[in-house]
Amino acid sequence: MEKIISLKNINYSYFGKIPALRNITLDINSGEMFCIIGQNGSGKSTLLNIINALIFPDSGEIYFKENKITEKSIRDRSLNLQLRQSMGFIFQNSDVQLFCPSVFDELLFAPLQLNMSIEEARERAEQTLSYLNIEYLRERAVHMLSGGEKKKVAIASVLTMNPEILLIDEPLSGLDPKTQTFFLELLMELNRAGKTIIFTTHQLDLIDHLQPRVAVLSEEHTIQKTGTAAEILSDEQFLISVNLIHEHIHKHGEEIHKHYHSHYVFHKH
Amino acid sequence: MENNLPVFLLNKNVQNNSFQKTRKSKLPFLEKTLKKIAVTIKLMYLQSEVTSGKKILHIHPQVKVFSFIYLIVVISLANNIKSQLSAFFFIVVFYLISKISYKYVYKKIIFLSFVFGLLIFLPASLNVITPGKIVFRIFTFNSPFHFLIYNVPQIIGITDSGIHVVELLFLRVLNSISLAMLFLYSSSFPQLIKGFKVFFIPDTFLMIISLAYKFIFILSKSIEETYFALKSRLAGNVHNKNAQNIISGRVFYIFKKAQSNYENTYAAMISKGYYGKVIFQNETKIKVADIYFLLIALITGITITLI
Repeated sequence: MEKIISLKNINYSYFGKIPALRNITLDINSGEMFCIIGQNGSGKSTLLNIINALIFPDSGEIYFKENKITEKSIRDRSLNLQLRQSMGFIFQNSDVQLFCPSVFDELLFAPLQLNMSIEEARERAEQTLSYLNIEYLRERAVHMLSGGEKKKVAIASVLTMNPEILLIDEPLSGLDPKTQTFFLELLMELNRAGKTIIFTTHQLDLIDHLQPRVAVLSEEHTIQKTGTAAEILSDEQFLISVNLIHEHIHKHGEEIHKHYHSHYVFHKH
Repeated sequence: MENNLPVFLLNKNVQNNSFQKTRKSKLPFLEKTLKKIAVTIKLMYLQSEVTSGKKILHIHPQVKVFSFIYLIVVISLANNIKSQLSAFFFIVVFYLISKISYKYVYKKIIFLSFVFGLLIFLPASLNVITPGKIVFRIFTFNSPFHFLIYNVPQIIGITDSGIHVVELLFLRVLNSISLAMLFLYSSSFPQLIKGFKVFFIPDTFLMIISLAYKFIFILSKSIEETYFALKSRLAGNVHNKNAQNIISGRVFYIFKKAQSNYENTYAAMISKGYYGKVIFQNETKIKVADIYFLLIALITGITITLI
């Protein structure tokens, strides 16, 4: 598979004082499902922002399809266009992502920015609304939508760009179980269609569902391990060491027991 | 498994050729403004975290506020260049002791002092405003004349007394800003708030300031996230009409967010027993280190006055 994103020795800190990422080296291939997992504050969202060239590292190199991405190089409009057209970012907080007056305007926004004709943009928007079963939201004001609807519109607004790569920050955050299922199936379908999916999470069950290649970020903001979902999930001692599983008490009927397992991965319930 | 995706999602995008000609895109004004606002507010809020003035950070807030006010008064009253220069020296020493990056802070201080301490007061160096011996001629008229309330002399120039006045004012502004920055950069926000108690400001009012400031910080995060969301979908400069739509949408979002935030905060306060009067915990007792700090501030002030 063709290497689509490459990070080499990335370091990032907030205001030069608070470290967020340390010495991150990663290669992500085209068409891959890739997960960045780590506990809260480990730097997952920061890493996604760096991949999308929204912020730039203190040191290290980022390559997108062998183009070196820097704050300066991204000012070149053709590279900027290529990058923005190729990557769609779905933020954890849908509210910040939706800024147009109506849902339909929101879906048209990105294609029009990318200089697409209004007819083609409209066609894409209609098809996406239909695919996600949200035609009824077409003329609704974005701020009047429920959390799940906002998430669907946020996804739709990115899909109309037809990006090669989807960056998704905490995909299931704040969604009810039905919308979670919908979202997971959508991600698998998009991946089958050849889209590269890169997402962050702290939930091991999500890895079990999607079986991506996984990079584990530690509390020290470094990548501790990369591997297949099976390799990561089977290494219990490692998961304990990076605080992704911990000892907990739970009940089975009236039986109470305590163990180190990640509840979902090992009990499947 | 069958794939139900719309056809356009199954095909690769054709690279849009209208931008193929490589040229630099300017960072749009909207982007720059959003980014700057967010970073500035965040920095203000996190100043105590990003600076490492640990020792001075732990000085009793009221002692710190009192010392700050006292030194500001001393600097304002010091009427000669030597006093101001000595004040400058003492402040730099305080920066070094506090381990605050004075290079970073002084970049801001020099800019502010240049604008508010030099440019604004520059006309005071002219003989029209400050009489004295002309040391640098600027313009010569045929004869002196009267204009509005001013008697304009034949020769316009910079006087020695004028230079002295501008020097004094510049140093006074420079020292006052440096001291204010030192105070800000070496204090966490809760400390600053507690420090205001020295002026007998009611707790309820301090609570309101505290909530307002916290809200601004949360807002700045929203602004930053909005900026990223915009940037991730913008391939170049945004058109005016689109910019208007985006800004109006954002203003509304921020208004809604503000409304829900204050309603939730009020509900949280009620649920924690708030009944109309805020009671803050009493500040810890004054320690020996605080007394030393106060003494150093007093001695510094006296030295500046006596020079």
